[in-house]
Amino acid sequence: MTELTTQTAQPTAAELVDWLRDRVAAQTGRPAEEIDADVPLNDYGLDSVYVFGLCAEIEDQYGIEVEPTVMWDNTSLAPLAEALLTLIAAR
Amino acid sequence: MTSARSADTAPRPGTGTGPAGAPEAGRPEDADPREATPRPEATGYPEGTGCPEAAGRPADVDRLERLFGDAGDPANPVGRNAVLAADDRAGMLAAGEDLLTRFGLNAHFVPRDLGGRFEQLDDLVRVMRAVYRRDPCLGLGYGAGSFMAAVNVWTAGSTGQRERLAGRLLSGGRAACAYHELDHGNDFTRAGLTALPGPDGRLRLNGRKEVVANLRRAETVVLFARTDPAHGSRSHSQLLFDTADLPAAAVRHLDRYPTVGMRGVQLGGIEFTDCPVPDDSVVGRPGQGVETALRSFQLTRVALPGMTIGLLDTALRTALRGARGRTLYGGRAADLPLSRTILAETFADLLLADTFTTVAARAAHTAPAQAGVYASAVKSFVPTVLIRAVQRLSELLGSQFYLRAGEQPLFQKLLRDVQPSAFGHASRVSCQSALLAQLPLTARRGWRADTADPLPADTFRAGRPLPPLRFADLAVSAAGRDPLARSLVVATASAAPDDPLAGSGRAWCARLAELTADASGLAPTLIGPDAPPYAFGLTARWTGVLAASACLNTWWNRPAEAAGSAADPAVTLAVLHRLGSHLDHHREPLPPRLAEPLYAELGRRLDAGLTFDLDRRPTGA
Repeated sequence: MTELTTQTAQPTAAELVDWLRDRVAAQTGRPAEEIDADVPLNDYGLDSVYVFGLCAEIEDQYGIEVEPTVMWDNTSLAPLAEALLTLIAAR
Repeated sequence: MTSARSADTAPRPGTGTGPAGAPEAGRPEDADPREATPRPEATGYPEGTGCPEAAGRPADVDRLERLFGDAGDPANPVGRNAVLAADDRAGMLAAGEDLLTRFGLNAHFVPRDLGGRFEQLDDLVRVMRAVYRRDPCLGLGYGAGSFMAAVNVWTAGSTGQRERLAGRLLSGGRAACAYHELDHGNDFTRAGLTALPGPDGRLRLNGRKEVVANLRRAETVVLFARTDPAHGSRSHSQLLFDTADLPAAAVRHLDRYPTVGMRGVQLGGIEFTDCPVPDDSVVGRPGQGVETALRSFQLTRVALPGMTIGLLDTALRTALRGARGRTLYGGRAADLPLSRTILAETFADLLLADTFTTVAARAAHTAPAQAGVYASAVKSFVPTVLIRAVQRLSELLGSQFYLRAGEQPLFQKLLRDVQPSAFGHASRVSCQSALLAQLPLTARRGWRADTADPLPADTFRAGRPLPPLRFADLAVSAAGRDPLARSLVVATASAAPDDPLAGSGRAWCARLAELTADASGLAPTLIGPDAPPYAFGLTARWTGVLAASACLNTWWNRPAEAAGSAADPAVTLAVLHRLGSHLDHHREPLPPRLAEPLYAELGRRLDAGLTFDLDRRPTGA
């Protein structure tokens, strides 16, 4: 899982949400300030198989394995960041 | 043949790879007397590699062929006339269904640990292909529908659910796979039929399913329902139940949907109104439905096109018989240069489809986490090849094809029956969308990884046993890994300089490099359902690379016993030529040096009563 990994230090929840917000903005072509951490990503068109690319970006950034289903179970950025922090801490 | 399960990676091509002194494959003990027919001269394709004595399945296929008998015998209750009569009345061939029950076809859908005979996906395809050679309606309407329903339960069901469905199928029962709603097509994540708790806490069904095979007569149903009103990918679940357990007043069957092709298959609809379902109906965890569908249908997306190759097999046989029996311009129509080319090209198309689906089916065992990509690639490409091939054969037959006499009514039926393979289960576009979602990721991560593993070599050796199929390892995303493309790169790099396919390998590697550059730069905003045609075109290029890798590596991993006359690479070159034609790389007809050996082999197989696929088994079709 680490072919292209540039492993970073353990981020804070706020840092992780900010990073995710930028990635979601890039994936969806929206300004980052429009991405609300408590609104389901589905509302921005990121759901189903369209989260695969974002999963890989998270994997490469933080050196963890992210099943796309993690993003289905945590549908907005705030709970997603919580779930990812657990994975990052355990890496 | 030994049963060594080597996990070695692809060996150096062009050096001979099979086990030294391995016996000739494919001579089951109870071989058909027709097996005594001298084998036609080998033509270079991995002859007989698809006859895995070790896996024990040719015996099943040959037994089924014997049960079906001679299709041309007018007195045969499952022969051509009977199949056509059933088609005329838009009914299933009852004698054929009885035959398949006697044969125990359903056992081939049930994993061995549940008492069935399902072990290898490519073996299931072999058996079902024999059914499709006789009557595609029997294949879809008796068998494939139950398998589509069952894979959901094998993948995500509880032990109790798995045992219950296994028992149902093993006793000859049917399962319907109720996903489709006309309003949502292949976009099942929008499915509207709901299963929400009623006042007593039990789930209650409300809504309709439409155009589902065997919905009225199946004893058991796998139903895809919305179990959460929220948007998202955790809002649906599969439900497994017996129709007898539902209150009749809450269920209304809709009129059957008549169709142009596959007319015998009974497509039904159903409407539920506050219909309670038994408590243990949900398959897996509530909300797991999209995940289960994406994982389990990887198997059926490979298997269905693989089965449908049997349809083309019979269409080709029928057309060849017709062209041989027709005198034009003072000779046999089949001998005209244009006819020979069309027949040879169709034969190569069939081998292309078989090679790609066989490798994809075997890769489900050797690389289950990547099976989703290969399944989408096969389902987006192979049905189109098959449909075009049958269409071209109809042009060969000309006015004869139009007449309701001789053998041609069967051909007309096959031309109609092949059509739904383009959109049934998953359409070309929906499969391309699935590929597109994984394309930029694969380009960035997989194709640039110089140390990634290729597929194990046994993936390309049809006669070798495979590791067990692990449903639990099927994954929603291939995570950017593509070991089949990697096999192309690795094998090409190690090909001997004088290897006759080395040049093809290098050309396909160059195409992969171009695709990597183009796909890496694809904006993430362009991979959704509203992607432009250019983006969809990239998925076709990806599919082409995968198909080419399957063909080249099958050649490079051919068994040692295929050496000698089979060392002639003309057939693989012809198959790759056809692949280039399907991908619009060129519009050239197959050159005579490649077409003539195929045309000659075609005639030999027809005369010897052998199938046209990689297996070359006896058939009475």
